[in-house]
Amino acid sequence: MDYDVLVIGSGIGGMESALKLGDMGYRVLVVEKEASVGGKMILLSKVFPTLDCASCISTPKMAATIHHPNITVRTYAEVERIQRRQDGTFSVSIRQNPRFVDEAACTGCQLCEQACTVAVPDQFNADLVSRRAAYIPFPQAVPKKAVIERPGTSPCTFDCPAGIKAHGYVSLARSGEYEKAFNLVLESTPLVGSLGRACFAPCEDGCSRGSLEGPVPIRRIKRFVADTHYQSELPLGVEPGSTTGKRVAIVGSGPAGLTAAWQLRLLGHEVKIYEAGPVAGGALGLTIPNYRLPSEVVAEDVGNVTAIGVEIELNHRVTDLGELSDRGFDAVLVATGTPRSGRLGVEGEELPQVVPSLDFLETSKLGRGMDVSGKRVVVVGGGNVAIDAARSARRLGALAVTEVCLEGRSEMPAFDWEVDEALAEGVQLEDGWGIARVQGQDRVEGIELKRCTAVFDALGRFHPTYDESARQSIACDLVVVAIGMGPDTESFAPLLDRRGNGTLAVDPGTLQSRVPKIFACGDVVDGATMITTAVGQGRRAAHMIDHFLNSQAFDPEEFNLLLPRVEAQDVLRRQKTHSRKDALGSGKELVLDPRDFHEIEAPLSEAEVHYSAGRCLDCGVCSECHECVNVCPADAIHLDMRPEKVETEVAAVVVSTGFKLFPADLKPQYGFGRFKNVITGMQMDRLLAPTRPFNTVLRPGDGKVPERIAYVMCTGSRDQTVGNPLCSRICCMYSIKQNQLIMGALPLADVTVFTIDVRTAGKGYDEFYVQAEAMGTTFIKGRIAEIRELDNGDLVLRYEDIEHGGEIREAEFDLVVLAVGVQPNLDTRQLFGAGELQHDPYYYVEEVDEDLNPGQTSIEGVFVAGAASGAKDIPESILHAGAAVAQAAAHVEALRVRS
Amino acid sequence: MVVESRDLREVIREEPLRRREILKAVADGPRTVPEIAGLIGCPTHEVMYWVMGMRKYGYLAESSEADDEGLFHYRALERLTP
Repeated sequence: MDYDVLVIGSGIGGMESALKLGDMGYRVLVVEKEASVGGKMILLSKVFPTLDCASCISTPKMAATIHHPNITVRTYAEVERIQRRQDGTFSVSIRQNPRFVDEAACTGCQLCEQACTVAVPDQFNADLVSRRAAYIPFPQAVPKKAVIERPGTSPCTFDCPAGIKAHGYVSLARSGEYEKAFNLVLESTPLVGSLGRACFAPCEDGCSRGSLEGPVPIRRIKRFVADTHYQSELPLGVEPGSTTGKRVAIVGSGPAGLTAAWQLRLLGHEVKIYEAGPVAGGALGLTIPNYRLPSEVVAEDVGNVTAIGVEIELNHRVTDLGELSDRGFDAVLVATGTPRSGRLGVEGEELPQVVPSLDFLETSKLGRGMDVSGKRVVVVGGGNVAIDAARSARRLGALAVTEVCLEGRSEMPAFDWEVDEALAEGVQLEDGWGIARVQGQDRVEGIELKRCTAVFDALGRFHPTYDESARQSIACDLVVVAIGMGPDTESFAPLLDRRGNGTLAVDPGTLQSRVPKIFACGDVVDGATMITTAVGQGRRAAHMIDHFLNSQAFDPEEFNLLLPRVEAQDVLRRQKTHSRKDALGSGKELVLDPRDFHEIEAPLSEAEVHYSAGRCLDCGVCSECHECVNVCPADAIHLDMRPEKVETEVAAVVVSTGFKLFPADLKPQYGFGRFKNVITGMQMDRLLAPTRPFNTVLRPGDGKVPERIAYVMCTGSRDQTVGNPLCSRICCMYSIKQNQLIMGALPLADVTVFTIDVRTAGKGYDEFYVQAEAMGTTFIKGRIAEIRELDNGDLVLRYEDIEHGGEIREAEFDLVVLAVGVQPNLDTRQLFGAGELQHDPYYYVEEVDEDLNPGQTSIEGVFVAGAASGAKDIPESILHAGAAVAQAAAHVEALRVRS
Repeated sequence: MVVESRDLREVIREEPLRRREILKAVADGPRTVPEIAGLIGCPTHEVMYWVMGMRKYGYLAESSEADDEGLFHYRALERLTP
């Protein structure tokens, strides 16, 4: 048996139960779903009728509960299931939610909270003010440890193959922290500017805002922060790690190679890149046209890599990987991409005017573009490279550009928007055609096409079939072939395994080849993919190489392990309404027949960034901006924490899950949630508490000190219309308490209470009521029919004045407090098997022998303490807990005797 | 004029977004919540959430007394950390 008694909930009933049992010598486990013990009582201003400070009398109990030698407390944990065993004991399943903060290290300094970039309603202040995603529940929290609210990973971050914290940099940009946003992207890759332009933005495909008016322009926000950094001339805010003495050679400087080099250098390794081409960047520097990605931007990104000490040797083709080993490199990474263009395999392909697309694009990018002015160009292929080639040909002055592809328009592998843009610039599309031959003797004169009837076979494999009888010819002077790209790996064959398509065969998790010190990543392994995917592979390779160099075990399953993706429908459900915030346009200015390579996409202005980042819905709540990590002096933030399942055994259970407050918006005639100056009793208690959300009692509508305050009693209790005929027992008394406190805080305020009757059963309660009346509170017997809001935020209450002939009257107030009633906490229904723990007709936990054995439930060994069995005030809850634990102790003893 | 309420979560989410505007609004001296609302062109009850959030996190502080209309004036604070 792990514990004698499990106590569920740590409000005043739970704490009292645990302390009494602990004092008796029983081993107690307390499970509390919030991040602090204390329940509702710690949030109150004062208690009735003594007007003792609630904090002052709660905090000693909270501390005693946490520090008691016989009590173990699990905060931020939930009991998922309890099963009674044949021997009368219980097996308990507990989910320990991750705080993402090391409790032992956290000092409660709140620097993480100060730095956090995400604001959400503060449930501990009854939603009157904000808190942060990283937060300490309230000032007297026990334990006073931070917690980070992370229900999952935001879709934008989850969907990024590069592992970039997209939500994080959007939230930083929203706060105007552009340099921090830039640095956050640098945590993943140095290619901030390039990805800000040329990434295919899977982050935006998954954006929850997309199901409203359109996604947040996440990629363009990244471009903005990159441009802002590069224009600022600020130094790079990143330094290489402490030198490890290890040397790594990287073959290829494309997105994968540069990212791997960056990461390895940050880890302190010496890195040298060998690049076969004349510029660094791979496809970024050589083949993506300047109208999409200017060379200067690529150079800035590459500059990040060299700025931290990575050496790049250009025009150096590596053909012998073994030689690198001989030069003393401790590890080698092959990231040479897919530099070879596919071939048509048709008659006439050998003519000099038939050119591979990559050569065509490279010469264009390097400013040595072919002279195609006045020529008719045919581009063969339906992918994005073909589109790049066709649009580049247009810019180089071609008389006409025709793109020919096997696929029909809707099947083309190029992005739809790329095809649309090409068409808008005057590229002609001949879709659904294959190439029969290139026409001409010494030079290209045309191209003969044959109708493609299917691109794929029944199994979905690429296997084009043709109608040989359906043909057409297009006269042309140049043919650009863009039908696929492949790796150039023959020279690596002696050492490394190659697949049939020439890609390198490595372990998919570790990226290690059969030669332990040689790794490979990116397109040379996966075939032609996207830049962002290659970046992600570069990160993985660096991580694995670092483990290899440090003789650590590989952890492929752990790398970039994210919390589950938060789904859009769950995000949208958090709000009752979403106001319309239209998406910006694409920012692209397309012209027919463009004649230069100027960037076609306009940058976002700062105002547009601000507006767009403000559309973010904070899907994962925590944005993973890492500001908390950066400021925590104790290194206590651990975003890699995950939920834990805990199984335990106990002899008895005390259910002390307390109560819920009536949701005041279920009485729409009172206007809660619509009228700014209608609040609940709990909100007023927060306004009166020493740790209040405002500087004093103010109207939430405008910050004015209220002078005329009305109380509406029995809101949600003694009310058949909301299904609760019960009196909530505490509302009259907490309202009277608040009346007295208000008159202390605001001596000029008039307080009027509208009530059916005032119920003050309890020692000193009636005297307390009389005292409030003597201090000036006016009690009117009458139920409120409706509340109206005036333009200035004042409120008109319409009521039946029962003591004056039932006359219908109206009265005007600055602030209205709804004395909301108590409801059962339905969480108790999930604890046991169906029907085992019985509930009364009002859904409170049933006490099967309430008169003689208060606290006893329908399950032997399970007891209920406090308001889980019905509305109770604090002294009653404490007394009830005493009754419950006496029986729990008796049950434990009986089991001992039995065994 | 009675203003339509936006969802609380949506309003509060905008606090980091509005922070610079509010700090700019009080740059020349302390302002009441309705004054700030007028300067930044947002509903007063929404500005109240943002001002109180900024007060909680050390960006703003209130005057010692309310004015004759029962309104406090909020001024910018030099924020030390982080």
